[in-house]
Amino acid sequence: MNRHHVLVVEDDEEIRETVIEVLEDHGLPALGAENGRAALNLLAGAASLPCLILLDLMMPVMDGRTFRAHQLNDSRLATIPVVVFSANRDAGSHAEELRVNRILPKPVKLNELLTIAREICVDAPQPA
Amino acid sequence: MSDREQGSRANLLEDQRMRMIVESLDEYAIFMLDPTGHIESWNPGAERITGYTAREALGKHLSLLYPPGDDVQDRIEVELSTASRTGRYEEEGWRRRKDGSLFWCSVVLSAVRDAQGRLLGFAKVTRDITTRRDAETRLRESEERFRLLVSSVRDYAIFMLDPDGNIASWNAGAEAIKGYTADEIIGQHMSRFYTPEDAAAGRPAKLLGIARTQGRVEDEGWRVRKDGRRFWADVVLTAVFDGTGKLRGYAKVTRDLTDRRQAEEALRQSEERFRLLVEGVRDYALDMLDREGRVVTWNTGAQNIKGYTADEVIGRHISTFYTPEDAASGKAEAELTTALNEGRFEEEGWRVRKDGSRFWANVVLTAVRNAQGQHVGYAKVTRDLSDRRRLEEERLRLAQAQEAIRLRDEFLSIASHELKTPIAALQLQLDNLRERLAGDPGNASRLDRAIRSSDRLATLIELLLDVSRISTGRFVLHRQKLDLKEALTEWLERLAEPARRASVALELQAEDGVVGEWDPVRLEQVVSNIVSNSLKYAAGTRIVVRAQREGGSALIEVEDGGPGIPEEALPRVFERFERAAPMRNYGGLGLGLYVVRQIVEAHGGSAHAANAPGGGAVLSVRLPCLPQGATAEAAQ
Repeated sequence: MNRHHVLVVEDDEEIRETVIEVLEDHGLPALGAENGRAALNLLAGAASLPCLILLDLMMPVMDGRTFRAHQLNDSRLATIPVVVFSANRDAGSHAEELRVNRILPKPVKLNELLTIAREICVDAPQPA
Repeated sequence: MSDREQGSRANLLEDQRMRMIVESLDEYAIFMLDPTGHIESWNPGAERITGYTAREALGKHLSLLYPPGDDVQDRIEVELSTASRTGRYEEEGWRRRKDGSLFWCSVVLSAVRDAQGRLLGFAKVTRDITTRRDAETRLRESEERFRLLVSSVRDYAIFMLDPDGNIASWNAGAEAIKGYTADEIIGQHMSRFYTPEDAAAGRPAKLLGIARTQGRVEDEGWRVRKDGRRFWADVVLTAVFDGTGKLRGYAKVTRDLTDRRQAEEALRQSEERFRLLVEGVRDYALDMLDREGRVVTWNTGAQNIKGYTADEVIGRHISTFYTPEDAASGKAEAELTTALNEGRFEEEGWRVRKDGSRFWANVVLTAVRNAQGQHVGYAKVTRDLSDRRRLEEERLRLAQAQEAIRLRDEFLSIASHELKTPIAALQLQLDNLRERLAGDPGNASRLDRAIRSSDRLATLIELLLDVSRISTGRFVLHRQKLDLKEALTEWLERLAEPARRASVALELQAEDGVVGEWDPVRLEQVVSNIVSNSLKYAAGTRIVVRAQREGGSALIEVEDGGPGIPEEALPRVFERFERAAPMRNYGGLGLGLYVVRQIVEAHGGSAHAANAPGGGAVLSVRLPCLPQGATAEAAQ
């Protein structure tokens, strides 16, 4: 299974599109979903699963927390690494709660985004 | 005459005198009982009061005079044994006449002992105090009225005076009260019991004169004991006449009223205290009105509230204090009537002061009655509610202002959150673009400027968000163990670029081993805000960041080589939105240092601004290394 793209789950169109653009500019294919529900739908019908989910927390319809809960409940999706965007300075507590790999504080810094994406998607060993 | 003959003659005379006294009294039943309670003697007073003649009474048991009942014998037993044990027994109670009618009387029973202390019997003095008797005695005002107890009674000094006022007899009570023994005093003039002032004024002679002409005189006043001490006495002097109308002398009965006087004095003092209390109350007007509603008493509070002094207002009707409309409509009278009919009346309404100004008052009118239930006047309590109204209005304004602030802070919180989103997108795009323009220095440098501006915008919005979080209470610390030297090294690294642009040499002098539990993100904010602030003023000079231990706290100092801070602005450096003066806050939102103080205080520490001896400013923060007590934090 080719897990070589990033799923960007973010309700703000500008940020989502910019992140996707940045990633693609640097050789990382990316897809976007505008909220948790849309993301789940996308994943349900996907031929291949992403190597990384960049997750915003504050979204309408279904927020980041709820999406994460669904993801962890679904064995097919549970192992996909998640990095959370947080506009909140006090996000520290969320990391533990959501059991996510990392937190990317907003506003997102270009190099930080790329470093993490590369680390998880490109440099990390792929499961057989 | 031999001594013994003289002695027995004296006794005889004494007995005669006693007999005369006792016989001349017909208001008191005075008689002897034997030790078993049987009647041994009788007097005209006893006959008058009880209806029994001497012949009918002598030899009978005392129970003859008691209303029938199962416990009469026991009661008498108790009375006699009490009298025997303690010397006397006193009570008020019902007794029964020969005709069966009951009368209320005052009774004193005294044990009579001989020289050896053997009980000879009891002396009983009964006084009929039913109102009928009172009415009769009142009718006989000019007649002799005094209580006599036989010589063994100790509560009263009872003795005879000769017609000139010299002391002719003495009793145990007289000795107890006045201090003289019979030997010492008999033959002396009674004026020696009076105070020097009274004696000089001729009071003793005057009293004797009144007794002589009117039959009796009662007096309350100071008397003097043998040892010179004064006591308050009740004295009854009764002229004693023989059958022919010739003056035989006077019977004097003196009672030591010191106890009673002390009680009266205590009452007077407590009344005095009460009066002072009423007088002293300043916030309430407490006044008394007569039956028609005119002012009788006035207190300090009344003067304070209404403006009139006591002199100006006593005698005036309470409608004086009402508004002209109310006074004209008879409101005051109506209220007085209500108070009289229902006991009290209360209302809030307008009243008028002496100067004509109106005030909103709470008034309670209470009708006052005496012990017999007669209406004697009114008590009025007035409270000026103007202050209270003012306070209420202020409270309302304050609540409204606080609500407005809360709404504003909520808005700020939402707004800054909303602002961050497009800023994030902007920064990301600019960064991306910058990367692509790496090979085009001209455009790259222009883009750099754009990036710096957007960075600055992002920082300001972050600050705004922090401030609103602080105001709305959503400010939480996440503490971690930090080595200050390590942390500062890292943080100053991030400030290296801005420092370079401002041509400031940024230097760190940190001790090793300064460790504590602090929120790293927040503490970086503190250092970053202070240094950024200093960079504005230290351009071209240097900034030194020092860190050291100070007892249980860490001390971080940021000293710059700039112009320093004006003296008067020093205390306000860490205030919020300071527009006047602090040049330090110029150029930002004036919030950076405010947030520094909030973060530092949330850690339990303090922030301080001073000027360095060599010029330049020193901004310092102290942080306890460990959290103290219960602080709003989440441990990580």
